Amino acid sequence: MKISKNITLSCKLLTVHKLRTALCISSMTIGVAAVIVMVSMGRGAQKHVLDMIRDMGTNLIVVNAGHVTLVGGRETQSAIVTSLQITDADAIKSQCASVVDAAPETSSKMSVQWESENLKTEIVGVAPSAFRIRNIEIEKGRAFDEVDNDTAQRVAIIGEVIVEKIFHGETPIGYLIRIGGALFEVVGVMKAKGIDANGVDRDDRILIPLNTAMHRLIRTTFIQRIHIQVTDSTQLKSAETEIRELLRDRHRLRDKPDDFTIQNQATLIETERESSRVLTLLVASVAAISLLVGGIGILAVMLTVGRERRQEIGLRRAIGARRRDIRTQFLLESLIIAGLGGFFGAFLGMLSTFLASKIGNLPAVQSWDAMGAGLTLSFIIGLIFGIYPASKAATLEPIEALRAE
Amino acid sequence: MINIKDIRKTYMKTSVETNVLRGVTFSVQRGEYVAIMGASGSGKSTLMNIIGCLDKPTNGQFELDNINVLQLDDDALSALRNKKFGFVFQQFFLLERTSSIDNVLLPLIYTDKYPADATQRARKLLDDVGLKDRTEYHANELSGGQQQRVAIARSLINDPDIILADEPTGNLDSENAAEIVEIFSRLHKEGRTIIVVTHDRTVAEHAQRILELKDGQLKG
Repeated sequence: MKISKNITLSCKLLTVHKLRTALCISSMTIGVAAVIVMVSMGRGAQKHVLDMIRDMGTNLIVVNAGHVTLVGGRETQSAIVTSLQITDADAIKSQCASVVDAAPETSSKMSVQWESENLKTEIVGVAPSAFRIRNIEIEKGRAFDEVDNDTAQRVAIIGEVIVEKIFHGETPIGYLIRIGGALFEVVGVMKAKGIDANGVDRDDRILIPLNTAMHRLIRTTFIQRIHIQVTDSTQLKSAETEIRELLRDRHRLRDKPDDFTIQNQATLIETERESSRVLTLLVASVAAISLLVGGIGILAVMLTVGRERRQEIGLRRAIGARRRDIRTQFLLESLIIAGLGGFFGAFLGMLSTFLASKIGNLPAVQSWDAMGAGLTLSFIIGLIFGIYPASKAATLEPIEALRAE
Repeated sequence: MINIKDIRKTYMKTSVETNVLRGVTFSVQRGEYVAIMGASGSGKSTLMNIIGCLDKPTNGQFELDNINVLQLDDDALSALRNKKFGFVFQQFFLLERTSSIDNVLLPLIYTDKYPADATQRARKLLDDVGLKDRTEYHANELSGGQQQRVAIARSLINDPDIILADEPTGNLDSENAAEIVEIFSRLHKEGRTIIVVTHDRTVAEHAQRILELKDGQLKG
């Protein structure tokens, strides 16, 4: 039998019940589109998180004083540990071969005041090297340098949120603000970075030189963390081991547990990637269920079609159609429904992903492989759910079929 | 060409045996015009279905052009129906929302080779039954008589040896019925073998020979 003749025939027959065919196609469309959108959104979320981790800086290792534990999925530092010193950072920089630079840091929540405005924010004392290591860019004004740090200047670089809340969007360069009662000169504004992987708003803080913080403001002798940059990502693992040994030795820990926590960016990325991969898979599976529902729709429609068209089947058998011709015809019809649904779904899915990322500003990544998978899946579903009605139609005896009302 | 010997057909309906055909024997020569008559329930439709290879007898022998039909498998029977028979049914069985010409062409999609001149042939056949200007009309836009004429054109597209007509005038008024009967007479003159099942004597009288079925057996 001519397959091309059969396809045109099937298409014609599908137009007889336009509404039913359209409903059936649209259920497949929604299923395929859902799979594509879900995968794209999952990937987008993953990319977003990974971007945030990379945003911390490149080839980064973070040493935190004390223990960092996950509480509700967010990192929380344990009670104050005083063992981490600026000298530890210096030692790491000078003694570990693969370490390029180290930036010690301490921070504290303090109140900030300007004219009648005041708020509480994170005051972070950092070494000037942090700007480079941690990718902190200056939007307006300048960063502070080694001289500012060595002489413990009262200069501050403020985040976007502070600019909004205290200065109401005014450029505050040269203004004097009070931090914990002491006067500081605003010398720069940081470029906005948004929320980090731990949900902390990186624009809601003020950077001041580390020495200023330690000697003139927070008045501590210890630091809270060190950001360390290594030569390249392959060195992350070995540098981590090296740093651990050095710190244990310097802190004379012998057989006591670490009084610090080391996190390396590679492990962080790996963990994030793994967890979001699982999430994407999960969400896509849920979407795939809607495809399955579409398949059941095809099954129902084709069974009804098979019953309604018994006389036609009988006639076709009488004029020479073999069982397999009938089966092929019905299977083709379900494949056409599923295939059309698949194509529309692919289009709709890619379009909504595009719109979500471009207009809705949602983190969605156009996923061509998900589109391919959705299309393939729709054909497979058309085949699987088409086989039973097709076989049922094919096994109908010609005289029974002709006799049907 | 058709040789039927002691054909019996028994149906099992809810454990009650019904003998629809109880030993029917007859033969039809090439070019003959035969009518099978009988009241409803006489078994004439069952006999018709057996001749048309749509149904199989419980017992008996059936040879068509010296082929033992009862030994053929389903695919072979389909091929046989396609090549040897042209079917005309009481209910016409045209595909709705499909043009006359496409309906006429339908049997060709089940042939081994789709002929190059198929469309011309279909047009000629529709012309022959007086539907020259109705080729693009859909089945549901035609009158009953016109639909049956399309069905006859369809039955002829594969140039079959035998035309099998099951109550071809059963759904038509007398005027249209007369036209259909006339077409059969013309086809007979052209040399085709025609078997018509009917309960209408005026239709049957156009045949050369009338076989009368009663209670599953041939009279006389």
